[in-house]
Amino acid sequence: MLFNSYIFIFAFLPPVLAVFYVLGARSREAALSWLIAASLLFYAWWRPLNILLIAPSILINYGIACYLKRIGHSNPAHARVVLIGGVVFNLCFLGYFKYIAFGEQALNDIFDAGLPLTQVILPLGISFITFQKIAFLVDVHAGRIERFTFREYALFVLFFPQIIAGPIVHYREMMPQFKVASCRFDAEDVSVGISLFFFGLAKKSILADPIGRVIGPLYDHAASGVPQSLADAWIAALGFTLQIYFDFSGYCDMALGIARLFGIKLPVNFNSPLKARSVIDFWARWHITLTRFLTAYIYMPMTLYLMRRRAANGQPARRTRDAKVATFLGLLAVPTILTMLVSGLWHGAGYTFILWGLLHGLLLCVNHAWRLIRPRIWPDTASYNRLAAPAAFMLTFLSVVFAMVLFRSPTVAGAAMLWKGMIGVYGAAMPRAILSHLGPIGGLLVQLGVQPAWTSGTMFVGAAARIGVLLFIALALPNTLELLALYQPALGVKPAGAPGRLLRFVAWKPTGTWAVSLACVALAGILSLGELHEFLYWRF
Amino acid sequence: MTEQKTLATLTLILRDLLGDNNIDLTMQTTRDDVPGWDSFTYVNFIVAVEAEFRVKFRIADVESFSDAGAIVAAIAAGRPR
Repeated sequence: MLFNSYIFIFAFLPPVLAVFYVLGARSREAALSWLIAASLLFYAWWRPLNILLIAPSILINYGIACYLKRIGHSNPAHARVVLIGGVVFNLCFLGYFKYIAFGEQALNDIFDAGLPLTQVILPLGISFITFQKIAFLVDVHAGRIERFTFREYALFVLFFPQIIAGPIVHYREMMPQFKVASCRFDAEDVSVGISLFFFGLAKKSILADPIGRVIGPLYDHAASGVPQSLADAWIAALGFTLQIYFDFSGYCDMALGIARLFGIKLPVNFNSPLKARSVIDFWARWHITLTRFLTAYIYMPMTLYLMRRRAANGQPARRTRDAKVATFLGLLAVPTILTMLVSGLWHGAGYTFILWGLLHGLLLCVNHAWRLIRPRIWPDTASYNRLAAPAAFMLTFLSVVFAMVLFRSPTVAGAAMLWKGMIGVYGAAMPRAILSHLGPIGGLLVQLGVQPAWTSGTMFVGAAARIGVLLFIALALPNTLELLALYQPALGVKPAGAPGRLLRFVAWKPTGTWAVSLACVALAGILSLGELHEFLYWRF
Repeated sequence: MTEQKTLATLTLILRDLLGDNNIDLTMQTTRDDVPGWDSFTYVNFIVAVEAEFRVKFRIADVESFSDAGAIVAAIAAGRPR
């Protein structure tokens, strides 16, 4: 069931909430059991088989967790083996469903193996559910979860606002909330939750989906070998960056909002990543809970192992900025690139995703290297932060946009064709109608090499204007978390010390003005729901 | 060693790693509070702390230290290598 569907908004969520509040007024236990049942229905709605596919993994992980809990303190070595076994099981489960066909395709491509491709039904949200369960097993092994019942575990795994596309939550940040949740109607939770939900719906249906319809054909043409001119290639790159930005931002807002209706706060997952001034900063703002998972469970263990081995060989820790090239490559670049390779593969079983991950890995390495080198070249950090900020923002933005082409393109060749278009290899072209409307400027553009094209001027202007508006919203306006900061819209969000003038003026408050404004946003969002567009991150 | 002495030693280690003598850790300091204390420097710091105090943290603990106070507590409860 999609959050942005009529059936979810009008037929699923209201009765589920109503029954939850009614039951909660009498028995918290009954309300939470109802929430589990509703989550199962939500998950099974699109394809009931999904439940049968994912259930064995859920039950086996519960068994492993119970066993870990029982032996944890008495036999640490055995517990470690069980934990490793549990992690391997989860990775194999994910690997079979998500990567078997791609692995066979890769073997066919490289060795011409002629393997038939296995057709596998991908369980919904398997990438998110798997990572969440791995984190759960690690927490149980580490003794961070004192006790858990099957119902608590099921609630943690199945809680429908986040089951399909995150955020990737920890048991330790969710269960304390469920344990004290009133499960009753709370005016503040409901008004904040509804506001977040409709902000998210509007982002998805008004901002993300329409630009997606514009750029789709450009990617398809590039993938089928049709060269794209400078302007079209940039519309494709910028357009998709903004589409996935508002799509995922919208999803995250809706997930936060739905959870809040049940009195639960999810962690922050998206925080204006396009405002980032470095690629490191970008990953601290984009899909924050995935970055947290990858850093904690892949990057840190790898780096810790390498650094401990180095220390055991008599090489003490040294100032980060004094790192030599070999140290940088061995201790920082390799773990970073490998972690981002996993990130790419997690997003999708395909060459484009692998390359996207590797590219971001390289960008992060360049960013880290610059952090080490910069103090020698430009020692005054204050002046650097002040003067270089615009260039840092621009470089980060362009890097992200450039890499996003890989994320959307059906093939690597298609992405390469768009990149060539972006640097002008296929020349510049503009619709003939626009060039003629520009008068002398149009003539000048033609003299500079801009080719008149028989494409629609209206579509060209529409796409450019839409991109301009979306960029303004993404870069210049406060985000949802900032707007609702006074009401802690997500775990750990606090109001900024001194909000700017704009934020003071527009900050969300439970007032009549905001109620009317949100009603308009909600109406516009609902009326824009035409054909269903699934969230881009639901594919992962 | 008292908690304050441990904290002072942690401060010296972090100052040395980041080359910044203005750092003053408190029990509540988190990585977000210290400019440049990224994941790489954090792991570097943990390994230096392990060498200094002759303890070895569990990987799961390294990932979840919420603030400097949690590291101080883990050192106090640490198992010698």
